Amino acid sequence: MSLPSPSPPRRATHTSRQTALSDRVLLSGLLWLTAAVYLAPLLIMLTGSFRSADAVLDPGAGVLPRLDDAAQAVDNYREVWTSAAADFPTYIRNSLMVAMLSTIGLTLSSAAAAYAFARMRWRGRDALFVLVLATLMIPPTVIIAPQYLLFKHLGWIGTFAPLWVPAWFGSAFSIFLLRQFFLTIPRELDEAAAIDGCSSLGIFWRVILPVARPALVVVALLAFIGSWNDFAGPLIFINQPHMYTVSLGVYMYQSQHGQTPWNLALAASVIAVVPVLAVFLLAQKAIIEGVATQGLKE
Amino acid sequence: MSGEHESRFSEAKPARSSGSPKAWLWIAPWLIGFIVFMLIPSAMSLYYSFTDYSLLESPVGIGPANYVELWNDPLFWTAVWNTLAYAGASVTIGTLVALLVAILLEQHIRGCGVARAIIFLPTLVPLVASALAWAFMYNSEAGIINRALGAVGLPTPNWLGDARYAMTALVIMGFWNIGTAVVVYSAALRDVPRSLYEAADIDGAGRLARLWHVSLPAISPAILFNVMISIIWSLQVFGAPQIMTEGGPDHSTYVYQLYIYESAFRYGRMGYASAMAWVQLLATIGIAGLTLALSRRLVHYRAA
Amino acid sequence: MTITSRQLRVSRRAAIGTAGACALAWAAWPRAQRDLAGMPRGRKVLHYWEKWTGAEGAALQGVINTFNQSQEKLWVVRVPISDISSKAMVAIGGGDPPDLVGLFSYSVPLYAEAGAAMPLDSFPEHEWRGETDYLPNIWKLLTHEARPRAGVNTCYTLGLYYNRAHFREAGLDPDRPPRTIGELDAFADRLNAKDAQGAIRRAGFLPNLPAWWPYSWSAYFDGRLFDSATGRATADEAGNIKALEWIAATAARVGRAEASAFAQTFSRSIHSPQDPFISGRASMIVQGPWLANFIRLHNPSLDYGVTAVPIDDALPQPELPRGLLEADVIIIPRGCKNPEASWEFLRFMQRRETQEQLALAHCKGSPMREVSSEFLARHPSRFVGVFDAIARSTRADVLPPTRVWPQYADLLGGAFDSVWRGADPAATLAAVQARAQGLIERASSLRAARAERGGA
Repeated sequence: MSLPSPSPPRRATHTSRQTALSDRVLLSGLLWLTAAVYLAPLLIMLTGSFRSADAVLDPGAGVLPRLDDAAQAVDNYREVWTSAAADFPTYIRNSLMVAMLSTIGLTLSSAAAAYAFARMRWRGRDALFVLVLATLMIPPTVIIAPQYLLFKHLGWIGTFAPLWVPAWFGSAFSIFLLRQFFLTIPRELDEAAAIDGCSSLGIFWRVILPVARPALVVVALLAFIGSWNDFAGPLIFINQPHMYTVSLGVYMYQSQHGQTPWNLALAASVIAVVPVLAVFLLAQKAIIEGVATQGLKE
Repeated sequence: MSGEHESRFSEAKPARSSGSPKAWLWIAPWLIGFIVFMLIPSAMSLYYSFTDYSLLESPVGIGPANYVELWNDPLFWTAVWNTLAYAGASVTIGTLVALLVAILLEQHIRGCGVARAIIFLPTLVPLVASALAWAFMYNSEAGIINRALGAVGLPTPNWLGDARYAMTALVIMGFWNIGTAVVVYSAALRDVPRSLYEAADIDGAGRLARLWHVSLPAISPAILFNVMISIIWSLQVFGAPQIMTEGGPDHSTYVYQLYIYESAFRYGRMGYASAMAWVQLLATIGIAGLTLALSRRLVHYRAA
Repeated sequence: MTITSRQLRVSRRAAIGTAGACALAWAAWPRAQRDLAGMPRGRKVLHYWEKWTGAEGAALQGVINTFNQSQEKLWVVRVPISDISSKAMVAIGGGDPPDLVGLFSYSVPLYAEAGAAMPLDSFPEHEWRGETDYLPNIWKLLTHEARPRAGVNTCYTLGLYYNRAHFREAGLDPDRPPRTIGELDAFADRLNAKDAQGAIRRAGFLPNLPAWWPYSWSAYFDGRLFDSATGRATADEAGNIKALEWIAATAARVGRAEASAFAQTFSRSIHSPQDPFISGRASMIVQGPWLANFIRLHNPSLDYGVTAVPIDDALPQPELPRGLLEADVIIIPRGCKNPEASWEFLRFMQRRETQEQLALAHCKGSPMREVSSEFLARHPSRFVGVFDAIARSTRADVLPPTRVWPQYADLLGGAFDSVWRGADPAATLAAVQARAQGLIERASSLRAARAERGGA
């Protein structure tokens, strides 16, 4: 793999317009096929959640939801929502609170660390950054049980603290993303602010953060998703059912001693996905912008 | 006040703060978190790996006995091979799939924005929900995969119930979650300078040649990043095997993390589990280091 | 232009910020815990972790309600917990236990040795007469090294359910179910039905459906998994090998891949209307007494019978049924806040009336030595007598009382899977024996080491 070197120009073999059309059709088809394949599982999850326990296992059933399934769908969701075995309204409340607290904390603390890595010079900076990245390699099982004992000593078991407090100390992934982005912000902006009398905190708050908004939205969204979907943490740290998060709730609901049928298990899954989807759609525009301007140059 | 302003102007202080103490203040939250939530628990875990610890009783030191037992434990090696197989297939094919999809999305076809969002959606889905949906799809009678295969006359294996196919089923499911990798590749592809493509066009390079000689080398840092992340995460796979197959059938999907979890919480052997976890940490560092070293010749870094 | 876009940004940010703050407030707003609703003031609250949900959980709740209303000092709150074995270990080990925990009987040895379950003979006895109240096998399960460590909380054995209509169809006498393994195989062959592609449409009998007790087949061959006298594992005993040889032969006869595929389609359907036996896809199945409840619920017109599981052809005392007796238990965890109060409730749970009430609702047999005639008359399963006979049989057995049982069970489950796929039973069990015995010896030497240090 090497970059091309100059050589005498050659004539193209097709006219560019012809190539474009036939290629375009092929590529379009491929794109839509790919999109359909990626959408299928979600569609099936939705459709399955609309059916009765018998119908969901029927090999002849269609993939798309039908209008006549509406009554059954309402039944299913009501069954799951008001189930005595699982308290999804409470789980969603819990997840929402933990996720929001985590998101705010993670974004701020990661931004702070990324700022230091991107803008400041000090001895050991690069070594420390490698350490930050290295922490990605720690398997969660290495630390989760000692963390449990640590939290027990702190008296945090029985509260939500183990789920969101660690987020306020930053995450390697977010620090990495934000540092890369901060590096692309022109230093002239910093210097201009410094000349105007800003301290480094001021530069951070008034210059860096606003300019980095797209990247911050990406990091915040990933933090929210990560917290919402986190299942190993709540599994270990949360004991009381009224404190379950949605991820854990779905897991407990479907792994009951007396087998949850497919249609209800899928309905519970849909309930777990919908809030995150909503947040994603809200932030989607910002994400696309954020990705486009974000660079990964080393 | 104006005097101060003037003097600052004339001194032309550098915009970057160069003081060490100030930087450490900004790093402090991460550093404290690292020490409290990672370093100390890791050290505790290392200590436990040299003990027998059932959680219900206090730890008893047994020296390296856990590590010796690991070496001789056939289930340990099964878990290792299963996890390496999963990681190998996942990383290689997954990277290829993500690259191809990202390239496809960059062809400026109408509706690629919608397609992009659809491809990113699976990342939002909690693992439990994905596992349920996919387990349903893999159901040997009613699942859509076998129904589709059967409709075109292809064999319909018992995906999650047959030891020969279960791991393949999990690997295929992994390709559904390439959303973040695609996002990274898309960003990298957009950053490739046009001048490189123009030079290639002048040389008369066709589509494929452009891809191979320009795009791929130009985004090689992004490829490396994704491959590293992919390796690390796939070595730690746990949720899908646990929920969908519980490590079966016949231990064919019994991954490393699953053995750690069962050792700690089902067999009451936290010490053994800690030893396994530390072996994994060291192995991951080793594999990551190896990948970095091997990548030196393949990755082209452009001047910023 | 800068001003306008900044204003827009601010106003959008403000909107999102307000929405976020509202969501946070709604989420964090303290709300009354569902489970403490209706509690009269001035009572001491006891949290009782139990694994049951659904109808079984509701039955337990009924019993708890009776207790709560029968006295004025205590209020027991049932907390349904999934994955209770690991949760309990973490909670008790971490020093944050509930007041009572419902476990499986196989946890008793570990908890007893670790001192995690308080010995019950240190509490005042009153009406609790321990040894004489329970069935002998149940008492074995509740004690460890001669000290009672747990109260029983329903028990069960397994029986063979058979579809009489299918028997008639196949020309078999519906009142004459199989008694020996040989007969079981012969009857199953006649009841099997395959479709054109060779896939199983109806299974006569499959030992992997459900695959919940892979270690239990030895019992029908008089194979023992553990020798309590010596404390050794006996996985490679002749009876155990014979059992796995039978499993291997069955797999080969029925078709390994087909049987696995067939079993896998029912992975979430057990006890539902799509249950293999209830829906008529399996003619014979080994299951617990509770299946009768589900049959009555989903397919009441099903014409079926229940008998003791067939045993190997040449065993002594063939008239005595074999089987494993398992039980759910309740322990009082170490470190709970008020052991005396927990003991009050546990004693209530050990009353014959209480256990019978639960057993009726769960559709299981009673763990008590004496059984009221009402219990047998009102029982939802006509066949409770079959399960009761197994529980009382002197040839019935219990799970190995060793703390390494979960790992031993998984090894046996692995052996079942391997043999199903064609591995040699004797060699497989020899490997299991070596590993299991190693685990047991390791556990004893560690126990000695702990005792030396005066720990736990």
